[in-house]
Amino acid sequence: MAMENLAFLIPLLPALAFVLTFFLGKKLPSGGAIIPIIAIAISCVISLSITAGLLANPEHVVTQSVHWFAILNLGILIDPLAAVMLSMVTFVSLLIHIYAVGYMSHDPAKPRYFAETALFTAAMLGLILSDNILQLFVCWELVGLSSYLLIGFWFHKPGAASAAKKAFLTTRIGDVMFLAGIVLLFADIFAILEGKLPEGVYLLQFEEIFKFIPDLVAINSTILGMEVSHLTLVTLLFFGGAVGKSGQFPLHVWLPDAMEGPTTVSALIHAATMVTAGVYLVARTFPMFLAAPGTLMVVAMLGAFTALFAATMGIVMNDLKRVLAFSTISQLGYMVLGLGLGAVIGAEAVGVSMFHLINHAFFKALLFLCAGSVIHAVGTHDMRQLGGVGKVMPITFATMTAAALALAGFGIPGTSIGFSGFLSKDPIIEYAYVFATETGNWMPYLFAITAAFLTSLYIFRLIFMTFTGKPRSDYGGHESPSSMTIPLAILAVFAVIFGALTRGKFMAFIESNFEHLDMNALAELGGYHLGPHGHEPLLILWMPLIVAVAGLVIAYLIYNKRVIDMSRIVSSENPVYKLLYNRYYQHQIFVEIFSVKIIYEGLALASFYSDKMLDWLVNGTSTFLIEAGDSLRKFQTGVIQDYAAAVVAGVGLLVILVKLIMEVF
Amino acid sequence: MVDLMLLAPEITILVTGLIVLLAGLFLSAQSKKILGYIATLGCLVAMLLTISSFGTTAVMFSNSLSIDALSQFFKIVFLTVTTLVCIASVKYTDGNDHADEYYVLVLFATIGMMMVASANDLMVLFVAFELASLATYGLAGFEKKNPASIEASMKYFIIGSLSAALLLLGIGYVYGATGTTNIEGIAQNIDLLLNSPMGILSLVLLIAGFGFKIALVPFHMWAPDTYQGAPSLVSALLAAGSKKMGIIAAFKVFIGALIALQADWQIAFAILAVLTMTYGNIVALSQTSVKRMLAYSSLAQAGYITMAFVVMTPMALTGGILYALSHGFMKAGAFIATAAVVYMVTSENKDILNADHLDNFKGLGRRMPITALSMTVFVFALSGIPPTAGYMSKFILFSSTIQSGLVWLAVIAILNSALSLYYYARVVRYMYAKPTDGDRVSEPLPYVVALLLAVAGVLVIGIWPEPFVSMAMEAASVLI
Repeated sequence: MAMENLAFLIPLLPALAFVLTFFLGKKLPSGGAIIPIIAIAISCVISLSITAGLLANPEHVVTQSVHWFAILNLGILIDPLAAVMLSMVTFVSLLIHIYAVGYMSHDPAKPRYFAETALFTAAMLGLILSDNILQLFVCWELVGLSSYLLIGFWFHKPGAASAAKKAFLTTRIGDVMFLAGIVLLFADIFAILEGKLPEGVYLLQFEEIFKFIPDLVAINSTILGMEVSHLTLVTLLFFGGAVGKSGQFPLHVWLPDAMEGPTTVSALIHAATMVTAGVYLVARTFPMFLAAPGTLMVVAMLGAFTALFAATMGIVMNDLKRVLAFSTISQLGYMVLGLGLGAVIGAEAVGVSMFHLINHAFFKALLFLCAGSVIHAVGTHDMRQLGGVGKVMPITFATMTAAALALAGFGIPGTSIGFSGFLSKDPIIEYAYVFATETGNWMPYLFAITAAFLTSLYIFRLIFMTFTGKPRSDYGGHESPSSMTIPLAILAVFAVIFGALTRGKFMAFIESNFEHLDMNALAELGGYHLGPHGHEPLLILWMPLIVAVAGLVIAYLIYNKRVIDMSRIVSSENPVYKLLYNRYYQHQIFVEIFSVKIIYEGLALASFYSDKMLDWLVNGTSTFLIEAGDSLRKFQTGVIQDYAAAVVAGVGLLVILVKLIMEVF
Repeated sequence: MVDLMLLAPEITILVTGLIVLLAGLFLSAQSKKILGYIATLGCLVAMLLTISSFGTTAVMFSNSLSIDALSQFFKIVFLTVTTLVCIASVKYTDGNDHADEYYVLVLFATIGMMMVASANDLMVLFVAFELASLATYGLAGFEKKNPASIEASMKYFIIGSLSAALLLLGIGYVYGATGTTNIEGIAQNIDLLLNSPMGILSLVLLIAGFGFKIALVPFHMWAPDTYQGAPSLVSALLAAGSKKMGIIAAFKVFIGALIALQADWQIAFAILAVLTMTYGNIVALSQTSVKRMLAYSSLAQAGYITMAFVVMTPMALTGGILYALSHGFMKAGAFIATAAVVYMVTSENKDILNADHLDNFKGLGRRMPITALSMTVFVFALSGIPPTAGYMSKFILFSSTIQSGLVWLAVIAILNSALSLYYYARVVRYMYAKPTDGDRVSEPLPYVVALLLAVAGVLVIGIWPEPFVSMAMEAASVLI
């Protein structure tokens, strides 16, 4: 089929759009937005048709590969997993680009904006369809770079500049771990082959790596007295990369600050690109995770903890976009938890997690674009100054409510009726229960169900504070232009029905991704037992809905009916509120205690003199070298006789030196 | 019967040179522009001919010329540099009545370099060496009204003659001991030289002769003065092209003929490599003339390439040979970019003295964006930042050094690379971070074309090194 041969165009077109828009954007109407929009639209069509082809025949995986150098290749692998990601990213990115035409209309730097978002999309698409881990890493770094550029888009604002730096540095910690994982993996494969590299095989292709899983498990190292399999190390290092990119605890700190960029950028980062990269990495290398003893437990615990941790902070934020930022972290926690549950459900975990990822992409993009619509109209992020916006912006209100219902997870358990978020979050919570019964570890389940309650609470708090009641400040609002509302409406349709339409089929489709691998055998290597699991008790089945409704009711009572006087709770006297509002003092912990107190003062006190010494050494070296350069220049007298003398003297000295050295050695 | 087709590239350049010479007689100064196009075309045809016959081996003219992958690779290097220089020269010689002489000298210098690459006999090698040298002496003094250019030419000529004398003396000793000037013949009779006190002396004399062209410390003294005084495009030809002639000659003579004295010349080259790279980098730190800075950086680069002689593994030679090609692109590009700046400065003020002063690069990012961006690529490539040709070559060369156990040498080279970043990055800082009150200048098309070609070369080798590495490997396999 012709479409498959065009697969390489999927990342290439947006990349081309980046170049064209960057250089020619100024001369085109609306900052050259049309170029990336057309490019991404074509990519979207190609992706969708490839996905359709795969749906008809899941065996028909698209692979293309060209030799790069040595044992590395540049390649494309579009299996079901990549196909759905490609379709989602191109589609959501396309809508966000269209929306941005209206949203960015007043900004003078439009060409730069559209060029950078095109690069961002290109990098993400390249990441998704990489068939080898190194190419994926290269694109991964490109995603990091473009996110840095976009978060700091308004770089003249100090907040934006520092947020961009923070995002770059924080994700960098993860990136270094990821790279270390790749290095360790390659070193181990090299050792397994005893240095004899087979001809014509690209060892870093995923399919090739998977063949080495049994050998990798067998390599052990002793770390801190514990016997650790190298596969566990590699997967944990990969997961470290995912923690950075996907904003998991404790590397989530960059995500809320990333709001400093334009809201459309937030939508891109939070929904379509960037944060899903980490989850995708784990999904892509899932067979390795499954076979690595212990890794999935870490993944599940960290995911569940992040889901709860971020949700608690979401309920006290007053900034519209910050609430959504914490919500993203929390939902990513669910996705990571879903992957971790592979310990009991095997490849199904990838299906569940990816399903939530896709649904989340739709409703989170929608939430951000709605928030952007509100901000565009009234010019403030602060919910305390809003209220009653629903009356002036009915379309935004309706679409945002749909997104909120999807996020909170409303639906009828046991059926396919429900908002998309329900149909994907519910299985994760149910499987967390299975996980609890199988392993006796109840923590993930308890975290996940509590987080579900808090999710409902914070999102309806946002809805009631923003859209209902009376305006709390004097803002002149108007409904946004149609280039903004049409993407909202399209996304709203997806947020409502996508889950219901595709539910069973989607997960089966994703699971078919790993059909050619013996998942049970891999799980054996990891020390997991994948058995059939029984039905959950009725209460467990209904629990997610019950807590979601409870959250809605409480939010309604407090923020709409005002039955409880919030001023008593929201005060600096209340230690819990203070703790949450200050985000568990993470900033203080990271900056003041960790970096300032421990590192700086520790250094300053313990090595006051060595500090001086370092200064002296660094400055001294440079001064010395430059001085040396200056004085060596004097040899260059400009007098030709001296030059000739140097040549002859050089010959003489060289003869003597060579002779001497030959004699001595 | 000699297959003359294998000499087609040289013949093409020769014919082009003669056409340019004759046509120049009948053309007015204004229409001499066409000579630049003819020269460029000739170089491109010669390059295509060389590439199409890459890998064929032949010995011709009573064993005095040999065509193999090594000689062809270096011919490609020379032709690349000459092509870039010819393209950029279209603007430089615009309206100059002596344009025909300029192109003829450039082309004849190129033939000399190409013949050195093919030489299989010390006499042929010497004559070709001198052909290239004599042509470039003239080129360095091309700006007859500019005292700096005349001084550059004179210094180059005098030191060049001295070095030629030393080289000839070295060849004389070798001939005296072994009774032949043929490279294979010398290798066969090497025992006669090995046991003679003339051995080390002839070695060092040959090193001095080639070291003059490569600009190894202490035979380098002419280089900074000449590169700075000569027209920038001629400096490009000298630094990027004729320097490689010294390297290929040294490859042929030392590895081809004098391999038995390996232990001696490896020590000599080790000393010279370390001296050259360190001296070049340290002195470059405090330069304010960009051409002079590039001259010293060119010393440092020569020091890196010389490491190939010290390591002497197939991988190291591959690295050294690839470095020669990469350096051709990077250094030619950097000098052409400087030429564009000099052109801009002199067109604003005819009598300016140091047009290549660092201060004239201030705000170049705004004034000449393409030149500034290309210059950025070149200096980053020279300092070895990926994904550029400079990085790839350094990577292969340095890693082969470590593999063969010469960790100390690799450490010195890597420290030197780190040091060099200071003066390279300083240029970028001047171009982008320093304000200027100059206006945007329209960049002449010939310069832009040459710059973009060089940028493309630097990036293609950096991103897609495979074909170039395998070509360099094939070239290296001719030697060992």
